[in-house]
Amino acid sequence: MKHFTTLAAAAVIACSGVAAAAESLYVPNLSYRTGPFASTGIPLMNGQRDYMEMLNARDGGIGGVKIDFEECETGYSTEKGVECYEKTKGEAIVTQPWSTGITLQVLPKTNVDEIPILAPGYGFSPMADGKTFQWAFNAPSGYWDGADMIVQYLESQGSLEGKKIAFLHLDHPYGKEPLPILEALAEQKGFELLPIPVGLKEMQNQSAQWLQIRRERPDNVVMWGWGAMNAGAITEAVKTKYPMENFIGVWWSGQDADLRLVGEDGAGYKSISWSFPDNDAPVMAAIKEHVVDTGKSLSNESEMGGVFYQRGIVMSMVLAEGIRTAQEEYGTPMINASQLRWGLENLDITEERLAELGMTGMVAPFSTSCADHTGHSGGWMLQWNGSSFEKVSDHLSPDVASYADLAASKASEYAEANAPWAVNESCDSAS
Amino acid sequence: MKDIFITPFVDMFAAPDFLLQVLWEGLVSGILYALIALGFVLIFRSSRIFNFAQGIMVVFAALTLVGFHAMGVPAWTSVALTLGVMLALAVSIERVVLRPLVGQPDIILFMATIGITLFLIGFGEIIFGGENKVMITEELGIPTDSWVLEPWGGLLILEQKDVTAVIAAAMLVVGLLAFLNYTRMGRAIRALGDDSQAALSVGISLQTIWVLVWFIAGIIALVTGIAWGARAGVSFALEVIAYKALPVLMLGGLESITGAIIGGLMIGMLEKLFEIYWGQPLLGGNTETWFAFMLALVVLLFRPQGLFGEKIIERV
Repeated sequence: MKHFTTLAAAAVIACSGVAAAAESLYVPNLSYRTGPFASTGIPLMNGQRDYMEMLNARDGGIGGVKIDFEECETGYSTEKGVECYEKTKGEAIVTQPWSTGITLQVLPKTNVDEIPILAPGYGFSPMADGKTFQWAFNAPSGYWDGADMIVQYLESQGSLEGKKIAFLHLDHPYGKEPLPILEALAEQKGFELLPIPVGLKEMQNQSAQWLQIRRERPDNVVMWGWGAMNAGAITEAVKTKYPMENFIGVWWSGQDADLRLVGEDGAGYKSISWSFPDNDAPVMAAIKEHVVDTGKSLSNESEMGGVFYQRGIVMSMVLAEGIRTAQEEYGTPMINASQLRWGLENLDITEERLAELGMTGMVAPFSTSCADHTGHSGGWMLQWNGSSFEKVSDHLSPDVASYADLAASKASEYAEANAPWAVNESCDSAS
Repeated sequence: MKDIFITPFVDMFAAPDFLLQVLWEGLVSGILYALIALGFVLIFRSSRIFNFAQGIMVVFAALTLVGFHAMGVPAWTSVALTLGVMLALAVSIERVVLRPLVGQPDIILFMATIGITLFLIGFGEIIFGGENKVMITEELGIPTDSWVLEPWGGLLILEQKDVTAVIAAAMLVVGLLAFLNYTRMGRAIRALGDDSQAALSVGISLQTIWVLVWFIAGIIALVTGIAWGARAGVSFALEVIAYKALPVLMLGGLESITGAIIGGLMIGMLEKLFEIYWGQPLLGGNTETWFAFMLALVVLLFRPQGLFGEKIIERV
């Protein structure tokens, strides 16, 4: 009944949002609270939503204008995602596609419709090249950054020469996204890469994949999992007695709820992350005061302390800062999509700004530019201690220069394949 | 050619413990596929309805069980209450959906089960939310340790919850067969499947039988939900596993309980063997997404009614 009550509350809030739409900035979120990926989607969507609710309640929005943060349910289906994009693009100043598959589908459309895509920590990695992808942003970190940081971390534990690394991934555009950089790194560092795909129907039955891991005996398993795949992989790893300390997931494979399924048995599992939860951060107190205590939140205490909920907060902060930057530049609170594009291109999230936002330590400082739409904030290696994630590394920075040529070449391939493709000639070069 | 016809068998012979592990994992998957297929078969036999909702019933039953327990209800009481909910669901489906559609073409009834699926997804998400939940495995007394054996000096890991699932499934199947063959209601279900007009003419109640088979399908869904949920949690992702029952039905035949069981076991073990010894080394893996359908298609080429389906002879 709690869910019924919260959904009813959400409906009321959504309706009130429509009424206020004329005096607000419309920032739709193509969310998924249903379907096989709901378990990972819900905490992220709740975090995103609660941050915007907090700004509306505490500050009257951004620059005095309310934020109309409407969700359009996709169920992580690419077809539904495209429908949601088409449905919302009329008044939207941004689109948040929330799936690499949906991002790839709407990417060419946004270049024509001139609406910024904001895909924090996901999407097509060469979107970092702001000259080619002038309307797309994946700050603060892209998948290639994540893959590079994981390999860097593994290398810091010892040479990778002659080692075998299994790459367990969802058989989906998201899961395949880091393959080019991992293949390049394998050649460069001398390790063997063993890609192991997991089909959508096999997410909760990965015994074949883990039998392969048992047979191949890789030194490490790197996971690009999502939704039910994460829990499926972690329980199989425990079952097959794979050393958890050798098992590392990307930031979307580091959710507290997935690890709680195995508890102590999952201790040692790691996840690279560009965000870190801090329950004592001032922003959390503000959300509690203005959103939770007033009954506007759809979340709960356990979820709010987790990595994903608080990552959702950081994601909305990136958008809010883009809006604020654009408002200041253009001297108007009612910015349009093109002006927000400028704002997202000129983000400057410093330590000082994070402190002002009450988010020190929740994300590393980063900045974007005309040429660099990712920011490459870097992140930390987190480890599950049996009950929560904790930091086990200093701040890691991706070696962006080492794959800049690959990114430029993939961006150029994309532009050629989708010709005529408008680029931003005013940018000096790709990042 | 060597990689296809020689190497896989050499690998099997070289590591028999690993082969045993592959077969065991296939058996566990297969028995769970068979359970889902059984739910389809039971309803189809008695009503000619292809129940598209069987997959979501698995999720709904498992979520209901976990939901009751989360409210502080003891584990086995939660099981009893969940069975009550599944009975109420069966009665509701019969009264609200099926009864008004008696006499309509099969495709209409099939479409109605798609409607039931969509309703249960939405209703379930409103009541339970979409988060992944932990199955109450230990609370139900299901052991969670594993037996580590060393056959031929190798390694064989048997999860005790998987062993429990196999035993529970076997008991369920035996009980179901006994019910269908040796009880009055069971024979009535079979009679309705064999010749509905004749069965109705001797006083068998269509409504009662429909409620009964949907309730039995609900019991099967609960057992399947507990077994799958114990492996990787309970979420709406479980629903997609139901699609794996489709090739089982194609292989075993839509009307055969024996076919569902043998088809499930065959597909579970063969897809695992193919994936490990041929799919992963030669095709890059992930062959389980299509292998079962290919196998079923090959069988249909030679036996359109499936391995155990009834051959339909129509005289003109």
